[in-house]
Amino acid sequence: MSTDNLITIEELIQRLKMAKEGAKKQPGLMKSSASYYQMVSTYVERIASAKDDGCWVATHGTQQPLEILEAMDVRGCFIEFWGAIADLTGKLESAPEALSISASTGTPGEVCSFFRNFDGLSHAGKWPRTDFYLYASSVCDNVKSFHTLGRRYNIPSFGLERSYYPFTAHAMEHWKNEYKRYIAFLEEQTGKKMDYDRLKEVVALSYRLTELHLEIDDLVAHVPCPLSPECYSGTLLAIRLLPGTQQAIDFLTELRDELKERVDKGIGAIENERFRVQWSSFTPFFDPTLMTFMQQKYGAVNVCDMLSRWRGESKWMLDPEDPLGNLAYRTLLAPGNCQYSSGIDVAANLCDQALKFKTDGAIFNNNWGCKTGASYGPIIKDEMMRLVGVPTLTIHCDILDATFISRAEIESQMDSFFEMIENSKAYKARRNLK
Amino acid sequence: MNTPFNTLNEMVRLTSPFPESDTVKDWRASGRKVIGWYNPYIPEEIIHAAGMLPFEVTGNNEPVQMQGAEAYIYSNSCSKIRTCWQLQLDGQYDFLDGLISSHMCDQDMRLSEVWAYYKKLPYMDNIYAPRKRDEVGVQLYLKDLEDFRSRLSQYLICRIPDQHIANSIRIYNRGRELMWQLYELRKRDRPPVTGAEAIEVSKAAARLPRERFNEMMEQLLDEIQRTGREIKKPRRLMIVGNDLHNTNQVAALESLDAVVVVDEMNIGIRYAWGQVDTKLPPMEALARYYVMGRPVDMHTWNSDGRLQFIGEMVEQFRVDGIVSEIVRFCTYNGWDKFDLKKQMAERGIPILELDLEYGHPAGAQVKIRAEAFMEMLESRAL
Ligand code: SF4
Ligand code: SF4
Repeated sequence: MSTDNLITIEELIQRLKMAKEGAKKQPGLMKSSASYYQMVSTYVERIASAKDDGCWVATHGTQQPLEILEAMDVRGCFIEFWGAIADLTGKLESAPEALSISASTGTPGEVCSFFRNFDGLSHAGKWPRTDFYLYASSVCDNVKSFHTLGRRYNIPSFGLERSYYPFTAHAMEHWKNEYKRYIAFLEEQTGKKMDYDRLKEVVALSYRLTELHLEIDDLVAHVPCPLSPECYSGTLLAIRLLPGTQQAIDFLTELRDELKERVDKGIGAIENERFRVQWSSFTPFFDPTLMTFMQQKYGAVNVCDMLSRWRGESKWMLDPEDPLGNLAYRTLLAPGNCQYSSGIDVAANLCDQALKFKTDGAIFNNNWGCKTGASYGPIIKDEMMRLVGVPTLTIHCDILDATFISRAEIESQMDSFFEMIENSKAYKARRNLK
Repeated sequence: MNTPFNTLNEMVRLTSPFPESDTVKDWRASGRKVIGWYNPYIPEEIIHAAGMLPFEVTGNNEPVQMQGAEAYIYSNSCSKIRTCWQLQLDGQYDFLDGLISSHMCDQDMRLSEVWAYYKKLPYMDNIYAPRKRDEVGVQLYLKDLEDFRSRLSQYLICRIPDQHIANSIRIYNRGRELMWQLYELRKRDRPPVTGAEAIEVSKAAARLPRERFNEMMEQLLDEIQRTGREIKKPRRLMIVGNDLHNTNQVAALESLDAVVVVDEMNIGIRYAWGQVDTKLPPMEALARYYVMGRPVDMHTWNSDGRLQFIGEMVEQFRVDGIVSEIVRFCTYNGWDKFDLKKQMAERGIPILELDLEYGHPAGAQVKIRAEAFMEMLESRAL
């Protein structure tokens, strides 16, 4: 079985360097796009150099208190990011090859590709060197793979678990207590004690990052939307990869300033913004050119997505002296985490988002391997139509594998979708058209 | 062909037609409520203590054709939840006053949300099922159970007291004890019941008032003793994996000159396993039993205990081969597949892996593979 096309960490570093240089030279891109690639490069290079720097690497899923890792010199390697980044840097052949290798070990094809990609790369010895696995129950059933693969490759693992109703007093106390156990696990693995003063500093930086994210949201909500596709994932990645670091703050500060300048000058992502699109699940990781294509062909600007949405006001810094309590609360409000509550709740969050960002249509990527998505997609679609009059296009896709659905098929669905929106009463009313 | 048991026929009669059986109709006619439950982390004892009938929401022996369900739950969800939802759409579960599910897997959690959104029942609830089997998990589950008891009490406008729960525990413990006696009998060289019949018994336990079930179970054990019935089949099988409620699927395997002597299903051996400790305060006893008191299942992150348990049952029941069936899109089972195969190979136990659509009969391909598997078992025995 071929392993030639599998992305390696060295190749990724190279690709990100080239992308950064390309972004600097290409006219018409947002200035922040080079810094965006720089931030992502920093993240990958930190993983590559961890051992030399005397640090550890934890491969992990979502809902992780990464600030704890940062304070303990542990560098996170986020499996969803690792799955998407090969596609985003143009190495589209890597994921399908990793998925075939995973299948050859007996892992069923119906499992989410993020995890099959992880499985396949691990089996081929191409996953970044890892000291331990970290995960959480509230992500999805696939996190079981961390324990399974940990046993297979002799890598210790720790899982956090959370109640179905996370906001009850006892559930929040339990969640915070899980963080204490998490720290105990890390202390045991690394032989290092947690420095709580350092943790407080990291948590304060992370809170600043949240504030910046929210400021950026306010700017992106402007009409026309000032955010272009090349920087679209910047906020999500800053929050998901490097919270509690100065690098992430520097990047979001630059992005915020550039967006502010664009808003002040009335510069939009495109000249004639015809549609404002909301991704009611995740953005199309499997096809990195789709967002630009939508802008060019339909004048459809991508303004928001479910994974980038903070819940409520997101004032999670309750007590600066209680970093664990703050973090426990943060993960319940953090972008994407609402996905792991009821579909009705997710839909309510998306409707708030639709109103804030003044969206005309939603696109729901129904990831073949995602069972949580498969069963709340229809609720989200119906609730968004009922509450905010926003119609949904559902694309049945695989989150990483571009070969799952043809581009022609997606384009033909989009043609009809945007035509339908344009002729709808709600769209005309939003734009004061007759 | 062995003579059918009268008692088992009576159990089937009392639970027919499915799902709104004559028993359910009688129950409701007397003004009492029926609460559906969806997975093994819902303590039936608490529903029973509230004077309501706990009823497991499942499919049954007839495959259910999808006629609309996939507009609410996309087809890349497991066919068990789609089957249950289709039955709801068909009006078959209209008799339920409530539904309780748990976040044991993503899909049962989502089924209850779809139900709550499109067909809200007077009482709907969810309980988290801990993935870690430890004291912290017990305490989390206990507090969640207390919240659940309070919400259910509020629905009834009547507190469900500890004494009632203690009484229900005794009744359910008796049921488990009787079901376990049947498992013990299946260790015999010539077991008295087929695997298909044993699943019918478990289904009756999940659909009948438990007192009535217990009486019938006593009768069945008595009838087994009186008749001395024996199943004479050369190969002994174990079924592992998802719950099968279509007993025809099991009967089809047994038609290949084999008998299923044990399983590792939630509706099977785990449903009959162990006892809730009656010396502890009842809510704590339930929490300990449901989190730690039964064999490790596939939703537990650490599957070592599950694989170990399967290996032990193979030895105790002298199993010749394992049939591992997975309902397509069941993530947990998917992740255990590799290690199950590896560990059973290390123990020298042949394993047949089948991917099934929940409730649907095996296709021609599966039949051919099953026949080949039986032949292989036969050649090993020579
Ligand atoms: S896309 Fe769905 S299945 Fe995949 S990791 Fe995320 S929640 Fe899990
Ligand atoms: S078959 Fe698997 S995925 Fe489906 S409800 Fe059962 S445990 Fe959940």
